[in-house]
Amino acid sequence: MDTGIKKLLIANRGEIAIRVIRACRDMGIRSVGVFSDCDATAFHVRMVDEAYHIGPPPSTESYLVQDKLIEVARKAGVDAIHPGYGFLAENASFAQRCADEGLLFIGPDAATIAMLGDKLQARKAALEAGLPVVPGATFDPENIAEALKKADEVGFPVLVKAAAGGGGKGMRVVQAADQFAQAVRSASNEAASAFGDGRVYIERYLARPRHIEIQILCDRHGNSIYLGERECSIQRRHQKLIEESPSTIVDEDMRRRMGTAAIKIARQTGYVGAGTVEFMVDERREYYFLEVNTRLQVEHPVTEMVTGLDLVKAQIDIAEGKKLAHTQEDIKLNGHAIECRICAENPEDNFIPSTGKLKNYRIPAGPGVRVDSGVVIFSEVPIYYDPLIAKLIVWGKDRTEAIRRTRRALEEYRVSGVDTTIGFHRTIMDDEKFIKGDISTRFLEEEYPGHKYSRLTDDLRETAAIASALHTFVFTRRINVAARPRDYRAGSRWSECHRRLNLRNFQGSR
Amino acid sequence: MPRYLVNVEGHEYDIELKYRSEKYYASLSGREVEVSLHELGESRALMLIDGNSYEVDVRSNGYDRKKVVFMKGMEIVTEVEDYNLATLRKTAGIDTDASVDRMLTASMPGLVVDVKVAPGDAVSGGQTVLVIEAMKMENIIKARGDGVVKEVYARAGTSVEKGDKLVEFE
Repeated sequence: MDTGIKKLLIANRGEIAIRVIRACRDMGIRSVGVFSDCDATAFHVRMVDEAYHIGPPPSTESYLVQDKLIEVARKAGVDAIHPGYGFLAENASFAQRCADEGLLFIGPDAATIAMLGDKLQARKAALEAGLPVVPGATFDPENIAEALKKADEVGFPVLVKAAAGGGGKGMRVVQAADQFAQAVRSASNEAASAFGDGRVYIERYLARPRHIEIQILCDRHGNSIYLGERECSIQRRHQKLIEESPSTIVDEDMRRRMGTAAIKIARQTGYVGAGTVEFMVDERREYYFLEVNTRLQVEHPVTEMVTGLDLVKAQIDIAEGKKLAHTQEDIKLNGHAIECRICAENPEDNFIPSTGKLKNYRIPAGPGVRVDSGVVIFSEVPIYYDPLIAKLIVWGKDRTEAIRRTRRALEEYRVSGVDTTIGFHRTIMDDEKFIKGDISTRFLEEEYPGHKYSRLTDDLRETAAIASALHTFVFTRRINVAARPRDYRAGSRWSECHRRLNLRNFQGSR
Repeated sequence: MPRYLVNVEGHEYDIELKYRSEKYYASLSGREVEVSLHELGESRALMLIDGNSYEVDVRSNGYDRKKVVFMKGMEIVTEVEDYNLATLRKTAGIDTDASVDRMLTASMPGLVVDVKVAPGDAVSGGQTVLVIEAMKMENIIKARGDGVVKEVYARAGTSVEKGDKLVEFE
């Protein structure tokens, strides 16, 4: 099918909706957006060409309702639907529904999504394609004795994982045999309630693994390429916070081997579109297949920065049936890119989400700096969705320059009204182990126990003390002339004090 | 002149403020820095401290001593308290230690804004006992330990002089 897309529905919100809108504009495609009640004036609604209301704030009544999205698609007369990430991006039934309705779904076909979404099937496909997988085993949950024997063969500690898993749900680390039966039961129960599928399996637990993934692009004509790797080891609760490309431990040879492995599983499964093949890498730099993500990843911009490609445009081109614009030989990684996820969360309070209105919002700029933001000043950050409000992506000619620029950009970033991860990122950019590239997925729990991320110089501490004292002085002066507010959240009017003091000075000078 | 004790991550700063010729001067344990302060709207301000530029955003919750200072990409938690009140609180604060005087007295003149306890009340550490406005700042006096209120001398809306009895504990 070689149909040019004229109009595209974006079944998402926030920064990724805006990312897709931008690609559409660059390609001359008309964009259609959707919004829930609380997103009526959201940034993506202001940016998009057309926007339609799809329901109340909870995503189960809006962004996840397939009927409503299909109805908008019909009403607006779109040719294609881009799901972004999250929501319906890896929902096989939605991909099938789009196909049935004659709409082009920007992603692989429903069967591929279903197959790779099942971790056991994906693992089987990887084994068939000859990829190294973490030693592990499947078992009959009714036969714990046999399962225990298999766990012993794999070797404790083991990881119990849900076949339908994701986001750390249905996952348990088991240190020794006596905890095994209990862990299997609780993981299975958790998986059953979260995914409606209680199947679990075991894998050897790697002590300090890195999470490294390969970006792939596959067209409908049998061409597939890999676009280097992304190192995503800085995580909390299995959610990534900082990603970079290239990885400090991947050299040309390892990149070629991992890239080739990624292409193998793509071919094995008949993959079409942009995808990500995730690997765990142990301390000996041995890599093991983890899973395939059949969507555009949050962290795709770091790959764009080092390859110069537009991955959303590539996705749309592939969906339209075009051949890949590049061969493997064309792909050269240039420089180094780092992405910091700017989330409305309080890192010191175990990354608890923070909501509210952005009273101030100023994004960094300058050489090498890109901000994919889903919000603008005065935006509301609602409680209903992902706390990711923006992504700061920084490019440098090498990692040292990229880190320096990231520091600079973080210091330029100004957000008030919600807590953010900006300070957390600023601290990590000064972390000696991070700078050396000595990281693993346990980096945060090992280096920052208790989530204490604040690392201040004497200068900054003293300056903060002066600011705090001045603010108190000005604030208490003000409340002595005005009614005392009951809920005074935003701080103060600094100027009131100046005016009063200036007045006094003025009077005094007479 | 206003003088504050500011705690930043366990480091204590004794800061006295002066204002002359449209500039602030902050003395930190005898060392003086010049601060030119410009309001930028909402809770933000530009501070030039001896010429060093800092754009700050100070967030606080009403009378809470805790203030969060956002600058240079960092979020810095501070606790600020009027110097004299801090001294009062530290020396006369309620303590479960038997050797400590059970009488809470005012160490400086001020206005009692609110009294939160009555005779017979059991108080636990951290609980607000009374609020005193002094040096044009409201200060929440909290119990430093568990105890029972024996007598309350302070009355809301009345002024107290240095040395006046406020609250007595059993």
